[in-house]
Amino acid sequence: MSTGDKLRLVIVTPERTLLDEPASALRFPLYDGDIGILPGRLPLIGRLGCGELKVTNSTGHRSFFVDGGFVQVLGSTISLLTHRAVPVENLVVADAEKQLAAADGRVARTDDEVKAKLADQQRARRMLHLAKASH
Amino acid sequence: MAKARAIIKRLKAVRNVRKITRTMELVATARFKKAMDRAIQAAAYTRKISEIVADLSETIGEGSSLSHPLLQQRDTEKKSILLVITSNRGLCGGYNGGVLRLAQGRIRECRSNQVDLNIEVSGKRGIGYCKFQKIATSASYTHFEDKPTFEQVDELASRYIDSFIRGEIDRLDVAYTQFESMSRQKAVVQTLLPIGKLQSGTATPAGDKPKVEYEFLPSPTEILEEIVPASFKARLFKCFLDAAVSEQIARMVAMKSATENADGMIRSIRAQYNRARQSQITSELSEIIGGAAALE
Repeated sequence: MSTGDKLRLVIVTPERTLLDEPASALRFPLYDGDIGILPGRLPLIGRLGCGELKVTNSTGHRSFFVDGGFVQVLGSTISLLTHRAVPVENLVVADAEKQLAAADGRVARTDDEVKAKLADQQRARRMLHLAKASH
Repeated sequence: MAKARAIIKRLKAVRNVRKITRTMELVATARFKKAMDRAIQAAAYTRKISEIVADLSETIGEGSSLSHPLLQQRDTEKKSILLVITSNRGLCGGYNGGVLRLAQGRIRECRSNQVDLNIEVSGKRGIGYCKFQKIATSASYTHFEDKPTFEQVDELASRYIDSFIRGEIDRLDVAYTQFESMSRQKAVVQTLLPIGKLQSGTATPAGDKPKVEYEFLPSPTEILEEIVPASFKARLFKCFLDAAVSEQIARMVAMKSATENADGMIRSIRAQYNRARQSQITSELSEIIGGAAALE
């Protein structure tokens, strides 16, 4: 499948368009698990989870940490709308550890608080995992 | 001689002021370009969101079972928040005045309707105004400079969403300067919560494009529920960006006319000085001639 990059990946954050480049395959987390995108994917609108976005193009792999948002696949264009997308090289282990500790230490009383706590814990764990893997 | 020297002094003072206003104009121009770039970049997100919303509502069907707490109009309006976005610095013409005048109108309206209004002010100019007018504010921010970040706005937006859903507030208004074009900025009071319409009219082109059958993960309604807060946050962020761009434009225009005014003043003072100098020379000459004539 190395016949050029047939997909176009656009990552948009509220502040700016972070990335607009060709890709040949993608993998990123949806709300309930990872999804892979290859050229020829049918149109899709989905909710993102948090975790690793892996971009494969003709020059190799790149990874980002994405933190929630939405995805739209239309034709060969994949638009990711996310609050935050950080290249994994820029993730700092200590920061992720701090966030995890903060989430762990929080006392949750109501259902909503428990849900938020679990989500934060999960996000921090994934971030930590990615940060460690990249260093 | 004293008169001519006094005029020279004034001339120097005006020249200094001109230097300052000219520099401020240039600085504002540079900042405006940066702010404008940010606003344009941020517009991509808003556009995408409304695109998805349009696709979603097409699938769900207009007006059917679309209920999100942020979309619901409350029957009675008891408590409301007014966020006033002003600048931290002055010397920007009628920028702050326009926003504050409108905010004042909203405050009066709430008072006459017996609505409990919390006023939140961003920017030192607005804070100073409220202090002077003895308007009680519930919160004030000065950290939104000309580069508001989404993180900062996100914090505010989450708080508003929470208190709106809990029913602590029934309405959120934002008084800010809307950026329409380079030559048009308008101070407005906009109601952000409840969200009246998800789609902003301009963002959805006419339905000439073919309908796309999307796969939705999870269901369209669930995605829509997630996208409503995101859309609100993007809107609030846009308010701050618009305000930042408009501030720089207002300052640019104000400083440009100040510089031009200084130019005019320099010209008239210079003419005045020349006249004073000439009359001094004439009087000195006539004194000498008079003296010489007296000696003969």
